[in-house]
Amino acid sequence: MATSKFSRRLFLKTSALSVLALGLGRLQPLAPGSAEASAATAVAAGETIEYTGFRQLLAEKWTWDRTAKITHCVDCYPGQCSWTAYVKDDMVIREEQTGHYPQLNPDLPDMNPRGCQKGASFGDVMYGAERIRYPLMRIGERGSGKWRRVSWDEALTAVAGAMIDAQQTVGAESCVLEQGPGNIGIFQAESVGSFAMNWGMTSLDTDGLINDFNIGQYITFGKFQQASSVDDWFNAEVVLIWHKNPIYTRIPSYHYIAEARYRGATVVTIAPDASPSTMHADLYVPVDFGADAALALGMAQVMISEGLVKEEFVKEQTDLPLLVRSDSGRFLRATDIEGSDARDDQFYFLDAASGKPSPASRETLALGGVDPVLDARAEVRLADGSKTEVRSVFSIVREQLDRDYKPEQAGALCDTAPDLIRKLARMIATKRSMIILGWNSAKYYHGDLIERAQSLVLALSGNWGVSGTGSAGWNQSGDAKSISIGRETLEDSEYDRVVRQHKDVIKLLRDKDPTLTDEMAAIEYERTVGPLTSMAPPAFYWYHHAGYREVWNNPAWGDPTMKRSFDDYYNEAMEKGWWEGVVRPAPDKTPQVLIGAAGSTLRRTRGGLKQLLEHTWPKLKMIVSIDPRMSTTCLYSDVILPPAWFYEREDFRFHSPSVTYNTYTDRAVEPLGETITEWEMMGRLSAKLKELAAQRGIGTFRQERKLTKAFVGLLPTALQAVYRLLGTAVFERAVAWVLPGMASRLGLKRSYADAHEQFTKKEPVNREGYLRSFNTWINDQARLGLFPKDATLERYKKEGFIRMTGLDPLDPVSLNTSCDIEPDKPIVALQWHVRDKVPYPTLVRRAQFYIDHDWFLEAGEQLPVHKPNPNMGGDHPFRMTSGHLRWSIHSIWVANKLIQRTHRGRPGMFVNPGDAERKGLKDGELVEVFNDFSSFQVHIITSASVRPGQVIIYHAWEPYQFPNWKSYDAAIPGMVKYLHLAGGYGHLRYWRWNWQPVQSDRAIAVDMRRAA
Amino acid sequence: MARIRKDAEQQPKHQVSMVFDLNKCLGCQTCTIACKRLWTRDEGMEYMWWATVNTQPGRGTPRDYEKMGGGFDSEDVPRAGHLPTRGEFGDAWKFNYDEVFYGGKGSKVHLKPEGDTTWGPNWDEDQGGGEYPNSYFFYLPRICNHCTHPACLDACPRAAIEKREEDGIVLINEDRCRGYRFCMEACPYKKIYFNQARKVAQKCIFCFPRVDKEVAPACARMCPGRVRFAGYLDDPEGPIYKLVKDWKVAIPLHPEYGTEPNVYYVPPIAPPRLDKDGNVDESSPRIPTAYLEHLFGPAVHGSLEILQREMDKTRGGGKSELMDLLISRRWLDMFHNLDRDPATLEWTAKT
Repeated sequence: MATSKFSRRLFLKTSALSVLALGLGRLQPLAPGSAEASAATAVAAGETIEYTGFRQLLAEKWTWDRTAKITHCVDCYPGQCSWTAYVKDDMVIREEQTGHYPQLNPDLPDMNPRGCQKGASFGDVMYGAERIRYPLMRIGERGSGKWRRVSWDEALTAVAGAMIDAQQTVGAESCVLEQGPGNIGIFQAESVGSFAMNWGMTSLDTDGLINDFNIGQYITFGKFQQASSVDDWFNAEVVLIWHKNPIYTRIPSYHYIAEARYRGATVVTIAPDASPSTMHADLYVPVDFGADAALALGMAQVMISEGLVKEEFVKEQTDLPLLVRSDSGRFLRATDIEGSDARDDQFYFLDAASGKPSPASRETLALGGVDPVLDARAEVRLADGSKTEVRSVFSIVREQLDRDYKPEQAGALCDTAPDLIRKLARMIATKRSMIILGWNSAKYYHGDLIERAQSLVLALSGNWGVSGTGSAGWNQSGDAKSISIGRETLEDSEYDRVVRQHKDVIKLLRDKDPTLTDEMAAIEYERTVGPLTSMAPPAFYWYHHAGYREVWNNPAWGDPTMKRSFDDYYNEAMEKGWWEGVVRPAPDKTPQVLIGAAGSTLRRTRGGLKQLLEHTWPKLKMIVSIDPRMSTTCLYSDVILPPAWFYEREDFRFHSPSVTYNTYTDRAVEPLGETITEWEMMGRLSAKLKELAAQRGIGTFRQERKLTKAFVGLLPTALQAVYRLLGTAVFERAVAWVLPGMASRLGLKRSYADAHEQFTKKEPVNREGYLRSFNTWINDQARLGLFPKDATLERYKKEGFIRMTGLDPLDPVSLNTSCDIEPDKPIVALQWHVRDKVPYPTLVRRAQFYIDHDWFLEAGEQLPVHKPNPNMGGDHPFRMTSGHLRWSIHSIWVANKLIQRTHRGRPGMFVNPGDAERKGLKDGELVEVFNDFSSFQVHIITSASVRPGQVIIYHAWEPYQFPNWKSYDAAIPGMVKYLHLAGGYGHLRYWRWNWQPVQSDRAIAVDMRRAA
Repeated sequence: MARIRKDAEQQPKHQVSMVFDLNKCLGCQTCTIACKRLWTRDEGMEYMWWATVNTQPGRGTPRDYEKMGGGFDSEDVPRAGHLPTRGEFGDAWKFNYDEVFYGGKGSKVHLKPEGDTTWGPNWDEDQGGGEYPNSYFFYLPRICNHCTHPACLDACPRAAIEKREEDGIVLINEDRCRGYRFCMEACPYKKIYFNQARKVAQKCIFCFPRVDKEVAPACARMCPGRVRFAGYLDDPEGPIYKLVKDWKVAIPLHPEYGTEPNVYYVPPIAPPRLDKDGNVDESSPRIPTAYLEHLFGPAVHGSLEILQREMDKTRGGGKSELMDLLISRRWLDMFHNLDRDPATLEWTAKT
């Protein structure tokens, strides 16, 4: 019968036992060591099995020539899936998870195997019809799909020529980089980013572009990336899946939720629809679209009124005991009590012992013997001798909750049963509870209020900073400061330069305020130096150059409680200098060149298909897409530059402590076609700029980075006097003297030759240079403490990943996680604040629920409240919501043939069957979805899981998958909340990836009808 | 096609098996893709998905397979059911990439599937049943059940189907197969496909080349949800034996088909229903038990009861061996005796 030689160790020596004989005798005990032992042992030659006939044909499919450790450098959060590529005939024939993540301790499930159907099919995308193999230039109209294959030299000459024209006619900032997260091999991404920085381009803030920014978390904590590692999900007693659909979007991590449930946790899903993540939950809590703040505030009311508040936690970690003046609604400050020379960022508790205001320490959260009154109301004497009433934030919160958010009232606002609100509140208040949060809340117009209210629930119940608690979806670590990414200099050490510059600035900051924590100092570094070197929020580019000014000023689509026009707020923000240095390209600098890298602006930008094509595209002289696969933006581009992809170059997926490993991807095979690494591409483009400028007899270009007040303010007083005396141009030398590392960044005029040299550091743009730079970069990561000291490229090639050893001390985003990384435990975000009493990077240095910024007081949002969704798109009966697709990471896999065959092979919009019936529509029909902004056509899928009145279209479909290439994004106006233009207040000041206006795209008002 | 039962004298020495934990399944299709990329990429196999995952309630794949018949009659003779058509399995659509990307037609054409676009192997994904907010669904992964009493084997007039003596894997011998497709009619689970290019029937081979090397099947080892236990049913040290024989929580799909499947399922427990006021209503489960009984037979009651009892134990702070078994803190424990890392294998020469 069977021709194979049976050699499995278990049964090798056992006698013939039939299944019928089960239970009659135990089988042979296992060989000791089993798994690890077997994993380490290659199959001995003697075990080779000879197959014949059809068995041989089948068995041959599972053979290979060699393997390589790989991963996919995309921003599926948190990713870090280590795979093994199986290579045969120099092609990656398939991939399979490496499966080597260690079990950290016996109580914790390991992370294996980590991966999903996308990772398992990437080889099909890599060699698929969507892959771009050669540089292409447009020969027809933009978007006509007529191309010419060109050489790299021709393509780069065209791009460099357009850049030089732009630099010489308008200015360097008219060259715009939109860097998406689609190819975030850190080494490649940083090559592109540092190119833009070096050549004075406007680099648009990636989080602003993609809107993965939890504004409400930011308002509360002064940061938003404080996520624990995914294995800590297992340790929660209550898992609240709230504004996330992990069954689609956290495929490799979801098992921790299922396992936590078996371990005894209660899993709760809170969403408008009975989302797929409901099916394995213990409780489904329906909530009206975007009304989650009401639900959370209802829970907060229950916690307070039933005496369930964790008072010690709240007193120590939050601003709830801080005093607020009843007359002005502002915090009681030292300036009030001691006079105008005192600090305006010193706040007060009411000391229970003395009954008097006592300053809240700015250096530690530890109360040091002071017992603040939580529910305080008192009269205090001010510096001018007058008296005024003050109340604690808690007292105001309690009154507001009792007035507006009793469970019956809250339930009426959010359409959740009052008893369900009570049940949830009691459960959360008495158990270790965690919100598994994504970036869905952030995409509601009032998502900030939702997240602030959620945070209040966690605060009252003491649920962050210890294992099994917390919120936030994902975190990042690893520096965007690019250490040696921009190629290692042959003479000087880039590492030393960057570290020195960082230390110099931090010293200046600490001279001004010795109480800054490491995290605060790193953030202030970004705020002061960032505008000179880093990104600019895209909101201003959209406002001035993409026609969004008109859209955002439409009062019908904005918050009806807005007291003034959008422009009024905008102008005030500009006049007050809240966004100094980052309004780029400036209103008078019309964008000339757009380089899109690892993203698709026409797909991603909310309303972009309409706004960008109508307003921005006609202005642009050159549109470049750096993309390995054909995107809709590629189709509308002038030049396509195809990079090598994930298995074709050495790189690391950018780090995320959420999966606490640095995951490596190897050059398993040669780059396909004529593709080259971004590192090489940028090096060659830089060389081309120098070469063409020389040919044209042009020596210099103007780099408009200006010294900002924030930067000057950072300098020692004497130097500031020098600045006022000498003016900007001469002052540059003085700065260079104090901060030698900054010198190259401040040049107002730069020569092409110098700029090229500063970018490439004379490193040859070839394979040898790449490997040298890459090795240096690994070494730098080890010196910074992210990688183990003995990390080498060889070790990563062999192991595929290594556990992180620490957060990046130079990177504020990394420090935002604020925790130790221990070898045998999950990481617990915010640990340093709760365990070590380190202050938070907010104005009041505590988790801040009360914001006394003028605009917040004007909006009635000084505390978290519920506000209904504006009618974005007009007065229409359906609310369109979204979330990530199961089938793709952004659009990378969305057009792949294999993946498409696992669903309906085309975009679909989920509709409640009752709604479909009322509209006379059937499952699978093509409908036209429309509102006052625009329209699109899509096939519907009926599902009873959809809330009546809701339509769900997951993203990110390519617009070219829809008739007329009009995707659902076409119907999203892309509103931003005016309040997020606020600034000049504590932590409400921009820094990279943080505080800035972002577009809303949930709960868009639409209607639908059968497509003609 | 009445034939005497051939498998009686062919009982294998051991039996490979899988347990699928439906409380962990995400419907992510990683198993589907894992299998596709390894085994069914050749011409004639494009539409084949030896491993599938479908939303339940739903029509499954091939469409309405539960109504197609097959299995055995009262005298243990294989019964010819409906021969599933290509359309019922779903087409392997092609897409007009070149036309859209390079055809010079601009936005007048868009990327779309070509062929029969009224059905596919996962067409009714996430549709499910019930009514909001008490809608429900879950995912049901399926492979060939490598039955103890395979109707396909008995139905084949060419004796081209064998059950491997050493481990009970049911294989179609493609060298003997003449494409008569009696097996496809007889299999009540409809997990056999027909290769039009080669004119042979093909199906899941339980990754026998991997199993022969002590490596778990690709669908199991690559499952990120840690849904699939793979190993030997008759290995008392392994989790499958414990889940099936000791705890009796893992039960076969449609036991009434009479083929004695060797794939077992831990049935799903959904959140409670909400009453008209939106409060928790525990008077009846969200997923109607009758529906689960339709799928898994009357044994599902006992299975659900045990599961619920043990879940209640841990929720109350207690310990449960069953829960620890289902959690499987050490991933490789799910593949007892099939836990070798494939990347450690070396092929001495290309075969």
